[in-house]
Amino acid sequence: MSEDAKTPKPGFLPIETNWFDRLFISVVIWVALSLFWFRFIEPLGLSIWICCAISAVLAAYIIRRG
Amino acid sequence: MHSKTLGWALLAPTLILLFFFGVVPFIYVLFVSFHQWNPFAVNPDMIFNWAENYRRVVFDAQFLASLGVTVAFVFFAVVSELIIGYALAQAFMRDFPGKAFFRTIHTLPLIMAPIIVGSIWKLMTTPSIGILPNILDDWFGFNLNIGQSALQAFTVTVIMDIWHWTPLVTLSLIAALVSLPPDPFEQAQIDGANKRQIFWHITLPMIRPAIIATVFIRLMDALRTVDEVLMLTGGGPGSATRYLGVHIFKEVFPRTNYGYGSAISVVVLYLTIVACWLLYVSLIAPRNTKKG
Repeated sequence: MSEDAKTPKPGFLPIETNWFDRLFISVVIWVALSLFWFRFIEPLGLSIWICCAISAVLAAYIIRRG
Repeated sequence: MHSKTLGWALLAPTLILLFFFGVVPFIYVLFVSFHQWNPFAVNPDMIFNWAENYRRVVFDAQFLASLGVTVAFVFFAVVSELIIGYALAQAFMRDFPGKAFFRTIHTLPLIMAPIIVGSIWKLMTTPSIGILPNILDDWFGFNLNIGQSALQAFTVTVIMDIWHWTPLVTLSLIAALVSLPPDPFEQAQIDGANKRQIFWHITLPMIRPAIIATVFIRLMDALRTVDEVLMLTGGGPGSATRYLGVHIFKEVFPRTNYGYGSAISVVVLYLTIVACWLLYVSLIAPRNTKKG
């Protein structure tokens, strides 16, 4: 495991996190957003792939700056 | 041997077992959840259907109703177990006649298989032959019929869970209370603190790790309750006690809808992990003091 994985990094999240914590948070948000999208947004005609793109960008931002 | 290598060598058997009995089945369930698969249908093949099962989950009124009753069940059961378990743990910290006997009797439900617990409670609550409907009717004129009343069925399942699992909470909290050092309590008493202040400012913060660990265990267990409820009420009347575990069981086994059942299982696992993680973050995760 790299040193970065063990060392907490200050970021915008309210708790101390390492990169694996931030990856976990990203996956949790990705799944929640996908289920929300299936239930409320997709019936309006917006594809789930838009949700995937938003989630991927959000995940990258959380992992880098969280 | 290098200490790091020795550490990995000692961990290896556990990691290998966890991989084969934890990770591999999870990956398989995840794989199945993206398929339409009914092995007893005309076409028994697995058909990849993207996220169709997950799309179905969020519109499944039965699943959403099950989620609602499960949250209520978990809340009432775990909170009650924590309060009663702490009261019993405090009682067992004192000496009273027959303490050892009562402590043994109180631990007995813990060693019973859930299916046995369900059978016992079914016998106790069956109208006309059960002891509980007879006593309640004779003493209070109360008609207990869990086959007809949704509220009564729900309440009885919560009480059954409390009866079954409170001893676990009591034992965990006894272990935590026994290990507390006496000095802070003596100092607080010298400073004139009353019992309520000692409880809120000394006892509770010191046993907090044990309480959190116990809540984690009970939360995860209560979310996957199946057998005792299935035995007692079968998920009824209607869907009053059709908790998530019971819902998955009924979806997977009688209907043999493996793909959809796997998708529900993955969603339930996700909700369990998120619930435990939120509890961890709100109670024990170290705060981020510096903003980046």
